[in-house]
Amino acid sequence: MITDHDIVVLGAGLAGMRAALEAARSGASVAVVTKVHPLRSHSNAAQGGINAAIGETDTWESHAFDTIKGSDYLADQDAVEIMCREAPADVMEFEHMGVIFYRNAEGKLGTRAFGGASQARTYFVGDITGQALLVTLYDQILKAGVKVYEEWFATSLYMEDGRCRGVVALEMITGELHLVRAKAVINGAGGVGRVYEPSTNALICTGDGYGLAYHAGAPLMDMEMVQYHPTTLAGSGFLMTEAARGEGAYLLNSLGERFMMTYAPKMKELASRDVVSRSEATEIAAGRGIDGNVLLDLRHLGPAIVLKKLPQVHEMALDYLGLDMLKDPIPVRPGMHYQMGGVKTDSDGQTPVPGLYAAGEVACVSVHGGNRLGANSLLDTIVFGRRSGKHAAAYVKTVPDSNGGEKLLRSEQNRIADLLARPYTGETHARLRLELAVMMDKYVGVYRDEAGLEEALKQQQDIKKRYAAVAVGDKGRVYNQALTFALELGYMIDIAETIIRSAILRKESRGAQSRTDYPTRNDAEWLKHILVHYRGDKPPEISYLPVTITKWKPEARTY
Amino acid sequence: MKFTIEVGRYNPEGTYADNAVQGEPYPAPWSSSPPRRYQTYEVDLPEHAVVLDALIAIREYQDESVAVRCACRSAICGSCAMWVNGHANLACKSKLQEFTKDGKTRVESPPSMPVIRDLVWDMKPFWDNHRRVTPWLENKPLPPPMQEYVVSNESMEELIQEVTCISCGCCLMDCESFAVNPDFMGPHALAKAYRYAADPRDAETHERLGEYSQHGGIWDCTHCFECVQQCPKGVEPLEQILKLRRMAVDAGYTRNAGTRHADAFANSVKHSGRLNELTLLPKSVGFFNILGQLQTLPSAFNMIRAGKLPPIIHKTIPGVKRIKAIFDRVGGRFK
Amino acid sequence: MKVAFHPGCVSKGACPELYISATKIAGTLGLELQELTEAPCTGAGVLSEQNPELGDSLNALTLAMAESMGGTLMTICSTCQGVLSSVNHTFEKKPERLEKANQTIQDQGYTYKGGTTVKHLLWLLFEDIGVEKLKSVIKRPLTGLKIAPFYGCYILRPSDSLGLKERPERKTYLEQLIELLGAERVDYTGSGKCCGFPMLTFNRDKSLAMGGNHILEAKEKGADAMVTPCPLCHLNLDGQQPDAALAISRPLETPIFHLPQLLGLAFGFSPEELRLDHHVVSTKKALEKVELKV
Repeated sequence: MITDHDIVVLGAGLAGMRAALEAARSGASVAVVTKVHPLRSHSNAAQGGINAAIGETDTWESHAFDTIKGSDYLADQDAVEIMCREAPADVMEFEHMGVIFYRNAEGKLGTRAFGGASQARTYFVGDITGQALLVTLYDQILKAGVKVYEEWFATSLYMEDGRCRGVVALEMITGELHLVRAKAVINGAGGVGRVYEPSTNALICTGDGYGLAYHAGAPLMDMEMVQYHPTTLAGSGFLMTEAARGEGAYLLNSLGERFMMTYAPKMKELASRDVVSRSEATEIAAGRGIDGNVLLDLRHLGPAIVLKKLPQVHEMALDYLGLDMLKDPIPVRPGMHYQMGGVKTDSDGQTPVPGLYAAGEVACVSVHGGNRLGANSLLDTIVFGRRSGKHAAAYVKTVPDSNGGEKLLRSEQNRIADLLARPYTGETHARLRLELAVMMDKYVGVYRDEAGLEEALKQQQDIKKRYAAVAVGDKGRVYNQALTFALELGYMIDIAETIIRSAILRKESRGAQSRTDYPTRNDAEWLKHILVHYRGDKPPEISYLPVTITKWKPEARTY
Repeated sequence: MKFTIEVGRYNPEGTYADNAVQGEPYPAPWSSSPPRRYQTYEVDLPEHAVVLDALIAIREYQDESVAVRCACRSAICGSCAMWVNGHANLACKSKLQEFTKDGKTRVESPPSMPVIRDLVWDMKPFWDNHRRVTPWLENKPLPPPMQEYVVSNESMEELIQEVTCISCGCCLMDCESFAVNPDFMGPHALAKAYRYAADPRDAETHERLGEYSQHGGIWDCTHCFECVQQCPKGVEPLEQILKLRRMAVDAGYTRNAGTRHADAFANSVKHSGRLNELTLLPKSVGFFNILGQLQTLPSAFNMIRAGKLPPIIHKTIPGVKRIKAIFDRVGGRFK
Repeated sequence: MKVAFHPGCVSKGACPELYISATKIAGTLGLELQELTEAPCTGAGVLSEQNPELGDSLNALTLAMAESMGGTLMTICSTCQGVLSSVNHTFEKKPERLEKANQTIQDQGYTYKGGTTVKHLLWLLFEDIGVEKLKSVIKRPLTGLKIAPFYGCYILRPSDSLGLKERPERKTYLEQLIELLGAERVDYTGSGKCCGFPMLTFNRDKSLAMGGNHILEAKEKGADAMVTPCPLCHLNLDGQQPDAALAISRPLETPIFHLPQLLGLAFGFSPEELRLDHHVVSTKKALEKVELKV
């Protein structure tokens, strides 16, 4: 079946829904295509808060500087300026939509401290800020009557005359393939955490948006910048919010020392995430870890703070490890959390592919550069989600109708049929994914070096070859998750390659990229972005873009 | 540690494994829900493992055809709600050790909802009812530009219990009122209704309360605490419904059997210290509701015949003055 | 064992057979019942729902009365149990509510200090009287009788206030009891569900359908009769059973025993003594199974 809309939004997380809402308000006919119900989107896992320079003594310049310094100067400063300037209005808008932000004694929006911030500017709802924003935004989507194709899995972008004109998607409940044709596509399909193990990310974060854009010709930028979150729960990798440290938690090694006092004497536990993750990894490697973990200690905070402000993580530690934060320190370790890199866009969400926009984690504007500050991701999604929606709504007025797409629909149907017909070989997609993900954590994790990265590339290529023969273990039509997982793995394998290749190329340490063979930052040669372009069976093509500097000259980065 | 797990399979295309055992039909009111076929799997997992770990292990390494919605694995996304041993639960929060009964844990799509495939059930009844309560803020006049509504933190904290709701569906799938009455909005929707009705920034509180007092709303709840028990996030939907009931009565929406029931109850206790069942029923039904009164006559006859009619002259308890004094002091509208 | 005893409203109104059978068997179990004749209705959740302070005060009075009589309060109604447990639990978690309630009942000469334990007869049987004592007074094992338990919501939920996390066995006492009394227990999914009584007066059809469905399931699984520790459930399951049968268009004809009646039969009391001849749904066929006439 083929349906037509002005704009198709891929993904129904904060970025996708914000874009859809803006586009709908601007008069465009919008459809959202999402592989899970909007409320299942991973935005709901963000816990700590959202940054904005609202406070009377705060300025957007201060927020921008913190962000740029946090990014280790890889962020494009013009984009950061836009984000930080528009942040207060965007956060206010969400308050007006009904988000139940924390209030201070005067009944106005109140803040909490967060990593890398020179002053407290993080607005929050308990430790469920992402959830609170997402449910409110979903209710606004309902109010605006936006059409949502729920549980439709995107398999391909439709390109016509060099323009992105829609999405081919599998309707999971019927097994039927559809083309949702449009004049523009906004890609808000989220992150790619499952390419690492362990990861804080949900099982659905398989980089579909990266893969679809990449294959359609949009370059992926800064892919080597993979953020490890310092406090992920031992074993499961579940996120233990930075807000815990914001409320005063300590990080301890096996000797009971607050080791962050050495690595970041001023900001200590609230230094930038990459700094804290590296410190932890160093402590663990030096034999001062406990079974490969360090300890997050909240015992001194007391029930008033823990149970009131951090109830969700308190319950998680209790449920999954049987530990009570009020009485026990919690074992945590760095775990893959966020991809700073992504589909290259400008500050209106436009990718180099006409008609294709991107916003949120999948995009790389770049506002986060080499390392993202906590509470800036929620901000990123709503600022650039809005801007993409607005720009796309204007853009589509210049785009003629289309009658095409039948050919793509048929070829996708054949591709799926062939995939389902593959004979069983003994390999499973799950085993392959685990192999890939564990390998990525080993060689492309917190600390990297040439030999490890080359080994990673070798293994990735081998996995890619084997992937081409793996059978799908379920031949059914209705809700075939084995099929969608097979497609997801395809995206992950290609994206892993872009991460590894970019890490190999960047011969310096900056932000989240820490190379033991190139341990210092090299602004003279590497103050630029690495872009990877898909070239089919051939190795990807590489290009570079200089970092845009406006006000802030790169300095040494200490906390 | 070894665990045995029985998965209730359902495939609209009708194909099942040879070792899938046909289950018994579900009891009323779900007799029309297709009985599942149960397939038994063995898994070896750490002792703290949850049902979802088992399902993922099965799906990834033993049987790729098991369909189950899951994403976050940590009770945040609400995807994996299902029946675990016959009661609603999140698979990612159900510890296998706790749930193993007679050596195994049984999981299936709840019979109270249409089933799509295996553990994936149709949430349409859930979302349709969510939309019914006007689940978005109908703004009071906006504050000046770049300013927030000024509201107390207490008023925001009052709403956080419902905002914790992850829309998993556990409450609805085990709600008995919903099972016998598909018109009932359901605990999740009414909890959401309270969240907006009680939001100081909402302009439509009064109208909302009127809507929620109608057929299918707050008075269709049977007050059985099932939703409170099954909710994995502590939302306590029933408590939100009771708050709505109080708000609705305070707002003047009293022309319904629910309010009459409460008034008759309170009146009886105030005057005699005890409940007078004889007058409770007709008073709740409403004296002018002739049809309603007629409907209760057969059971009244049965009670008389069995010698179970309460005494016509309702006795007051000794010391009833105390009760009257308590009502006078804190009885509110029952004074 | 001396206990303060709150009979609730229904056992003194529309279910006199409950009061009669409960007081009859008390002696056999070694229970000395000190009836709280001046304790008010608990409100059944309805009063607390509409006015939490009122519910708190009325129940604080009852709890204070029991406190002055030894501190163990026995109920014979799941609803009384649920409401009193819930108020007790609230007073523990939110002392400011206890303080407020005390301000109200102090005028009446009472203060509640939080020392009363509320236990349904069903719990007392297992936790205080004990299985050994129970076994020793069984004269007429109910062999051949298939009984389905029906708990009543408020003795099962919410688990926090009923101490079910600490004592999960409370969720299975009825099944255990049925077997101890020599009868055969019938397992079915409706045993812990709602009978519909709270909705009877404002949602009649749905209320009857709920009760009717559970009776039907028990019946189809072979039950000769059902037993319930809640007279409000009894009103819906027995009193309204003919109408419930019409509501679900299926014949039901399944007698409902009160908990003390079942105990009384096993202890050797006659059906008439336990007023089993005063039910809406005849107990005749079930009693015949244990060679009793009514």
